[in-house]
Amino acid sequence: MPIVAENISYVYNKGQPDETYALRHVSFSAEDGEFIGIIGHTGSGKSTLIQHLNGLLKPDSGKILIDGEDITSGNVSLRRIRQKVGLVFQYPEYQLFEETVEKDVAFGPKNLGISPEEAVMRVKDALRLTGLDYDEIAERSPFELSGGQKRRVAIAGVLAMQPKILILDEPAAGLDPGSHDRILAMIQEIRRERKSTVILVSHNMDDAAEMCDRIFAMKDGEILLSGTPEEIFSAADILRDAGLGLPAAADLIRRMRDMGADIDADGILLPEQAADAVAGWLKGKERRGKKC
Amino acid sequence: MKSRAAEDIIRIENLTFSYPAPEEGTESQTAVDDISLYIEEGSFVAVLGQNGSGKSTLIKTINALLSPSRGDVFVCGMNTKDEELVWEIRRSAGMVFQNPDNQLVSAIVEDDVAFGPENLGIPAPEIRERIDDAMKRTGIFGLRKKSPHMLSGGQKQRVAIAGVIAMRPKCILFDEATAMLDPRGRCEVMQIIRSLKKEGITVLLITHFMEEAAEADRIIVMEKGKIALSGTPEEIFGDPDSVKRLGLKLPPAVEMRELLRARGIDIPDSVLNMDGLARYLCGRAEPERDSSGV
Repeated sequence: MPIVAENISYVYNKGQPDETYALRHVSFSAEDGEFIGIIGHTGSGKSTLIQHLNGLLKPDSGKILIDGEDITSGNVSLRRIRQKVGLVFQYPEYQLFEETVEKDVAFGPKNLGISPEEAVMRVKDALRLTGLDYDEIAERSPFELSGGQKRRVAIAGVLAMQPKILILDEPAAGLDPGSHDRILAMIQEIRRERKSTVILVSHNMDDAAEMCDRIFAMKDGEILLSGTPEEIFSAADILRDAGLGLPAAADLIRRMRDMGADIDADGILLPEQAADAVAGWLKGKERRGKKC
Repeated sequence: MKSRAAEDIIRIENLTFSYPAPEEGTESQTAVDDISLYIEEGSFVAVLGQNGSGKSTLIKTINALLSPSRGDVFVCGMNTKDEELVWEIRRSAGMVFQNPDNQLVSAIVEDDVAFGPENLGIPAPEIRERIDDAMKRTGIFGLRKKSPHMLSGGQKQRVAIAGVIAMRPKCILFDEATAMLDPRGRCEVMQIIRSLKKEGITVLLITHFMEEAAEADRIIVMEKGKIALSGTPEEIFGDPDSVKRLGLKLPPAVEMRELLRARGIDIPDSVLNMDGLARYLCGRAEPERDSSGV
């Protein structure tokens, strides 16, 4: 389900002295099944942007087309948009509220007017996708689960709506390293199985480099850079100005180059690539050294 | 570990803490299970472990937010079980929490920083001096007239830290205080932690970011309510298998170091951050140094 954003702007306190552009003439598009990463420091407009994509916020100007339908026009059904576009907020487990996991996950689909049987099917499928066992967990209170499990239940609540576009705002924030990796693996699996378009907001450059087809780097309400991870992370200086870093592998290579090492930095994003490049460079250096 | 003398600002002796059973018929949950731990004054200690391993419970017993089910916790020699000492203990060991939005109480930054000292009944001129000093040390003096809700997450955390510093504590406990911040905000908080350490304030930092832990003097790794590992960052991250078995990762620079070692490149355990790794690799690559056997 393609997404097209045309020239959208969003202004806080319009007409007041402290008028601020949270988004300024933002345009982009995402193809079906694409995995898009959005990076940018706090206040750069990431959250404001994604809240536009499921109709939570309306732009002051510009429009957004989801699957060809203009969701910014006055007469669009928000319920329909939210069936198409699922939004997982930061720390989504804070929004759990039902007595049982089953009821919580079923809350969205039940409001769609589908049959109870269909709703149960959807709950089971959504829990399975998040790696939880329906039989074991359905009747438990979401509040007695571990932090990682709660987060999965909250994500399952969005998946039960079966959106074609899944947007996640920092889905692994605050989790320990093991849970962090499991949540990201889960997102890959959901995408593979449902063929969803995924938009991931992340502060973790290694995750963005590893998972995304394309990345948008935001600053002051604008998309400063957009491109493949290779393209984005080769612009280290621009990223630094935007308060952003590099994936660990690219960071090491850049530091070594700054110290005068003539390593080719092109396309190095993953730790294995950097290790190969450094090992190759050291060997070359050794050979040349011996010749001297 | 045997009991030690008064240079330990925090002494935890055979501490067990169990949360009461949530409802009838269920069991109480032991979050901290017979731990003994001694923290030297002026040291920077990082506490790692998976979600649910007992880190937060442990740290909350230190400033008397939780009282031991069994065993004792002493802060500057004061037993946290002694209710008359609770305020003195909290003044000595201040706490900064995870969510910057949940710990600010006033409409103006400087009022927020003054909240703690005002409650101590300190004379007004001294309060002024303390809060100005605390705001300068945390780099928020320029924001003192702003409303906290106008600030970024990192700035809010610095306001919270300034409020703790204004109490003139000997020790500051950070309970995942960097978890909700972006990289810039985390960097700001880590810089403050470094300067606190320089001033001789004891720091306990619970974190999931291994590169933050790599800066500590000592790392404690918790698992299922017990201390699974304890040592210097060099020792802890020198044993990647144990770190991974405990559900943790290596800091990015150490992960890179291990990949390079697997390619036959010798790098010492003391290389723990990206700058150090880059320096080491560039240094050792010089032919003249190579021939001198470095």
